[in-house]
Amino acid sequence: MPPPELQCEVMSKLSKTRSSQEHSRFFFIGPAVLWLLVFTIFPLLYSLYLSLHSSRFLRVTGFVGLKNYHLVLTDYRFWQGFRVTLLFVLAGVALTVILGLLLALLFNHPMRGIKVFRTLATVPLFTAPVAIGYLCMIIFYEEGGPINNFLLAIGLDKVNWLSEPVWAKVAVVFADTWQWTPFAFLVLLAALQAVPNELYEAAALDATSSWQEFVYITLPMIRPALTTVILLRTVEAFKIFDIPFSLTNGGPGLATRTLTFNVYTAGLRDQNLGEATAIAFILLVVMLAVTFVFFRGYRSQYDE
Amino acid sequence: MEHIANYDEGGIKVRFSKTTSVCVFLSLVLILVLGTFVVSAEDIAVIEQKLADEAFEAADKGNPDPAWAGKRFTVATLASGPRGSISGPYYYWRPYFEKLTGATYDIVEIPFGDLQAKIFTDLATGQGVYDAIVGPLFFMGDYISNDWIIPIDKYFDDPRMPKWDRDSIAPPIHKLLHFGDHWYAFNNDHDGMVIYYRRDLLTDPTWQSAFKEEHGYDLPVPPRTWQQVLDVANFFNGKDWNGDGKTDYGISMHLKVGEQGFFNYIALAGAFVVNPASGDDPTTVTRYNNVFWFDPETMDPLINTPGHVRALEILKQLVDAGPRAMLGWGLAEAWDVFLRGDCAMVFTFGDVGTLSQDTRSSSIRGKQGVVAIPGSSEVYDLEAKQWSKMEPPNKVANESGASWSPVISKFSKNPDLVAYFCSLLATPGINHWNVLVGWTGVDPGTRYDFLPPFGKASVEDYVQTGYDAEDMTEFLSAYYELWFEYPLNIPYLRIPGTADYIESLDIHISEALSDQVSVEEALNRTARDWDRITDRLGRKEQLKLYQEAIGYTAN
Repeated sequence: MPPPELQCEVMSKLSKTRSSQEHSRFFFIGPAVLWLLVFTIFPLLYSLYLSLHSSRFLRVTGFVGLKNYHLVLTDYRFWQGFRVTLLFVLAGVALTVILGLLLALLFNHPMRGIKVFRTLATVPLFTAPVAIGYLCMIIFYEEGGPINNFLLAIGLDKVNWLSEPVWAKVAVVFADTWQWTPFAFLVLLAALQAVPNELYEAAALDATSSWQEFVYITLPMIRPALTTVILLRTVEAFKIFDIPFSLTNGGPGLATRTLTFNVYTAGLRDQNLGEATAIAFILLVVMLAVTFVFFRGYRSQYDE
Repeated sequence: MEHIANYDEGGIKVRFSKTTSVCVFLSLVLILVLGTFVVSAEDIAVIEQKLADEAFEAADKGNPDPAWAGKRFTVATLASGPRGSISGPYYYWRPYFEKLTGATYDIVEIPFGDLQAKIFTDLATGQGVYDAIVGPLFFMGDYISNDWIIPIDKYFDDPRMPKWDRDSIAPPIHKLLHFGDHWYAFNNDHDGMVIYYRRDLLTDPTWQSAFKEEHGYDLPVPPRTWQQVLDVANFFNGKDWNGDGKTDYGISMHLKVGEQGFFNYIALAGAFVVNPASGDDPTTVTRYNNVFWFDPETMDPLINTPGHVRALEILKQLVDAGPRAMLGWGLAEAWDVFLRGDCAMVFTFGDVGTLSQDTRSSSIRGKQGVVAIPGSSEVYDLEAKQWSKMEPPNKVANESGASWSPVISKFSKNPDLVAYFCSLLATPGINHWNVLVGWTGVDPGTRYDFLPPFGKASVEDYVQTGYDAEDMTEFLSAYYELWFEYPLNIPYLRIPGTADYIESLDIHISEALSDQVSVEEALNRTARDWDRITDRLGRKEQLKLYQEAIGYTAN
């Protein structure tokens, strides 16, 4: 046993080291906490404050309790926006994931010029959504746009892409899918490339079909990546704004007006921050609920 | 197999393949065609420049304050580019202004749909980024009620300021530049809607006899009632009347939601809704006469009353007489289909009158007819709650449009300099130049834009900038009639929240036109929205401002 003086010295050194470690822990955690407080917690609390107040021209005019929420929830425009958003989420996510997966499967084989194809396939992801919206205005132009010209050339009728409510929705989903498919493609391709070849070699020995390989090997192996893609894509799809804003302006009527579009018009056009933040909060709750459901599924995969 | 042609030139044998010969020939043709365009574009630019120099020389320049030299301010306006509608002239006249004052300005372009958000945010926060705002005059109610802009009367007698002709402005626009007893906006643009038609088509004997056979009356040139407009549009819709192998259209409008389609509706509805007062002065505003938007006693919306319902039904029928795509069209697309010769009529602002003369984008120069907006043989009487017959038809001028006019922000750091700038551009020569030149988007509305005996301009003014004399006579006559001869006009909505009321109307009109809801339901929804907006902004306060804005005195 060391002499008591030495024990004291060791204890003192240990205590100093712990104290210094704690200080450095604060030093490393501090910026993250500060960032969270300033850029997440404060805006969130301030938005909540705004949603409980009336305002005009960005000035808070008085406490109104839950009146803004009541106004929003009794406004048919909110429910119309909610339906449109939900439709875009379901259609957009499903198409993005299916097409992204198909592309990833296609490009997961040695092919000549595959690098060029991969690079080209990701281009829409790096394009601004507003630009895609305007580009689609040209593509879907009903009087001489490329799609309608093609339809006429093969003897079909023109489609009223932007003037009929149903087709306008289709046009928005098309543009959104076009933009986000490369994201799904990139993530799923990475996941596919991480699947060990030995599994397929073993399956080949058992004379399994391609479909069986896909269902029993590929899909389970890429499931975590697939879930992540679906989750991120869903959250992104709930926020869709730029494409309907630039392509259809939310029309005809309210046919393509989403909840985020309503937040924009209430907050910035009508300068009514109370109702705008109330809509945003309702949207946040919906998104949190969806995220929660997904996270549960996501975690269970890792727990297994 | 390649065909070879041999030519012997001065003893030298030159060999040309047939392909090469064709290529050379086509290249020459292309050079000639492009050359023609370049030359004509250059010619027009030279003429524009010459006329601008003359206008600038002739303009009253006041006495610019030497202290302004080196200063800089900002003009916010519609996003259309350096040679586009409304924003264009501010780029064009900047070097002249700089030369005169030594000061300069930045131009901030804002898309139509973002104007309210950007401008109101700047004013509400008092940032004062925009010194001069060349925005739509339906922002006036918000400007005034929030005390965001300054009255400009004090500059009229200021010796530093250029003088402009306020008495010659068309009465409906003259009213818009005021609020209460003060002037707030400078003269610039004069928006109102008219109907353009193909003069050559409507006067063609073959089509005239076919029309008579189909409708039992002579093809009206020009159509003077909405029923006639509808008949003519339906008659020409779906026929290949220009012989290009494609079906052509009857009428075109710009009805994309969030753009300016609601102006079509407002312009059309005037004749069915605005009921003249009995007695000596038909323009007297009473609870039931010369009102369009709200009951001036209660602020209850009038938008779902029978006059409005009938107007929207007619608009819907007009949509069926043209390309369905117009429900997704902004101004450019709606104009283009008419200018390229595929549509018999277009119902829109004054811009088409001058754009049609530019042969680079128009195939209808020399074929254009214009008629002031039709009247109605019936108007809904809100007091008797029944339709009243009108003989002669009820003609109601529409100042439908933004009538983009500069105002000065209260937060401007150099209001005198900004007032000088706005006054300079409002001087007769410069303002008239803006009207003369097609791409500026500035429409006629001051007496110096019109032809004698009423106006001070001459056809030659217009012809020398490349216009067809007959086209311009038609255009200016229609606008003169609209501005100076129509006995009534639609009261412009100038109360706080106007943009909110308009946005709601715009959405629901679009719903009705795209068959999502019935006409009645669309207007009932609008009425509900309007009540909600009014309650949010304070019914009592809104009522007071509405009464003031339309000149109504409560009994």
